[in-house]
Amino acid sequence: MAAPEEGPVRPVPEGKWQGYVEPFVVGDPGRAAAGVVPLPDESAWDRKDTVLDAFALREGRARIVEVRAASVRGLAHRAYGKVRQDEYGFRRTANGRYLVVCVADGVSSGELSHKAAMIAAKGGARWLAGLLDRTEPADLPWGQFIRGVAVMIERNGRKLLRGRDDLDAEKCDVREVAQRLATTVLYAVIDLHAVDGTHAVHVVTVGDTSAWVLREGGRWEPQEAVKNDGAEVFSPTVHALPLPPATEPVPVRTTVRAGEALVLMTDGIGDPLGQGTGPVGRFLADVWERPPASGLEFAGQIGFARKSFDDDRTVVAVWPVNGR
Amino acid sequence: MESEKAKILPFYVLIDVSASMSGDKLDQANRIMPQVVDALAEAPILADKVRFCVIDFGSDAQVRLPLCDVLDQHSSLPSLTIRGATSYAAAFRLLRSEIEVNVKQLKADGYLVHRPAVFFISDGEPTDPEHEWRTAFQDLTAGFPTYPNFVPCGVDSANPRTLATLIHPASGPKQMQMYLMEKGQNPADAIAAIAEILISSMLASGQSMAQGSSGMILPAKQDLPAGISAHSSDDFV
Repeated sequence: MAAPEEGPVRPVPEGKWQGYVEPFVVGDPGRAAAGVVPLPDESAWDRKDTVLDAFALREGRARIVEVRAASVRGLAHRAYGKVRQDEYGFRRTANGRYLVVCVADGVSSGELSHKAAMIAAKGGARWLAGLLDRTEPADLPWGQFIRGVAVMIERNGRKLLRGRDDLDAEKCDVREVAQRLATTVLYAVIDLHAVDGTHAVHVVTVGDTSAWVLREGGRWEPQEAVKNDGAEVFSPTVHALPLPPATEPVPVRTTVRAGEALVLMTDGIGDPLGQGTGPVGRFLADVWERPPASGLEFAGQIGFARKSFDDDRTVVAVWPVNGR
Repeated sequence: MESEKAKILPFYVLIDVSASMSGDKLDQANRIMPQVVDALAEAPILADKVRFCVIDFGSDAQVRLPLCDVLDQHSSLPSLTIRGATSYAAAFRLLRSEIEVNVKQLKADGYLVHRPAVFFISDGEPTDPEHEWRTAFQDLTAGFPTYPNFVPCGVDSANPRTLATLIHPASGPKQMQMYLMEKGQNPADAIAAIAEILISSMLASGQSMAQGSSGMILPAKQDLPAGISAHSSDDFV
């Protein structure tokens, strides 16, 4: 779809054609961007390399927000023939008041972690939307909800693991289930009803998925602590469901208004974004000053090439629109 | 300082260039780096993250290839030449200072640095006093936050008992190994086989990084090239 700002697509004279797809590159693309031969994961033929969405939500005839979402398989997973382990999900509540978004990053070491991410993103978003039919976001029982998602992943995991020789799927400890499928997760609830032009947002995260608000002027404002700051050598341990979080999840409350964007992402894009002050921060702030015209364009931007960043990348971004 | 978090996997190869290494052994040692370059050229995911450093040691130790991206057109491969005795102490001291400087620089440049991996290849006993090289090794591995995963490799007259004490970590979940030429093998062939192990370890570690691990992966015993055996630190007591 084309955003109204873009104007109509001009007709091309009969018998001619135009248009091209060019990859986005930030700085040195590295060798992997051009050199990787993408392989399928032969254990999961139905798992898509890239998924994307682009839509607006309306109240009556007025647009309230523009939403863009994409999940792109990383170069490393393409090179080694592994599925995309990231997933996203969203739901508008039945009464139309809230938009629920989930971004999930399946833990790399688990061979079925993409299933955990799918359960958290789709099942979790549906459930959260259901809760919001009778509860205000500020009163949501987040701890109970997160533990419920963990149980949902654990139960489905045990079903998926049935018939294995290496473990008893019914009786084994949840940690053994988590070794095969686990996911970090972020849930956001966006109030579609703006007060003085601002939308209230509640965000809860387990693990290293992150929420940002891209403020006016291209400033990236993190809504959680940024991971791995100050560590001596890099250690990739993360909190992930179905293991229950060590502490009760605390929602972060923020607001977003027209001219800004709420950007929810997995670490595949959070890592190169860093604190948002480097070249990737500038690039994404430039291209996301307004919602990109299409989901395809958005996915292309998320898939930018930059040396040594080869993880799966998933972003759901929400741009409030001045109601017109 | 950039705020990004590109991951770097530093590899250090320490090669003995004492007098006994001359001839075929040195020729094979000189072929290690071109083989590494060829392997990385075929593995673009890994090539974007691996940095290589070559240190040789005889009477003294020298950085022959400073830690770099070996596929970078500006890096040229060193040619190793023979230099006298076998100072393990000089090798360990130089390695420690290189790791310290390199990791500091990489982190200042905004990288996430994985624990350095070291392949130490020797064909003989250390010629410096034992307390000296033991102290130098202690400084490299204990109380040094960026201590490396240390994989000693012995060919020809290297002493398995000496080398076994250099395996680090020697125990625990991230325990390293030692590789030894089997008796009666041609030592030059053994060096070629060690290069093969180094390359498969590098490729496996890259793949495990893609699967969320930061550990260094050594090849399984059944996958070792002929003429080489793998040992853990408790194989020689």
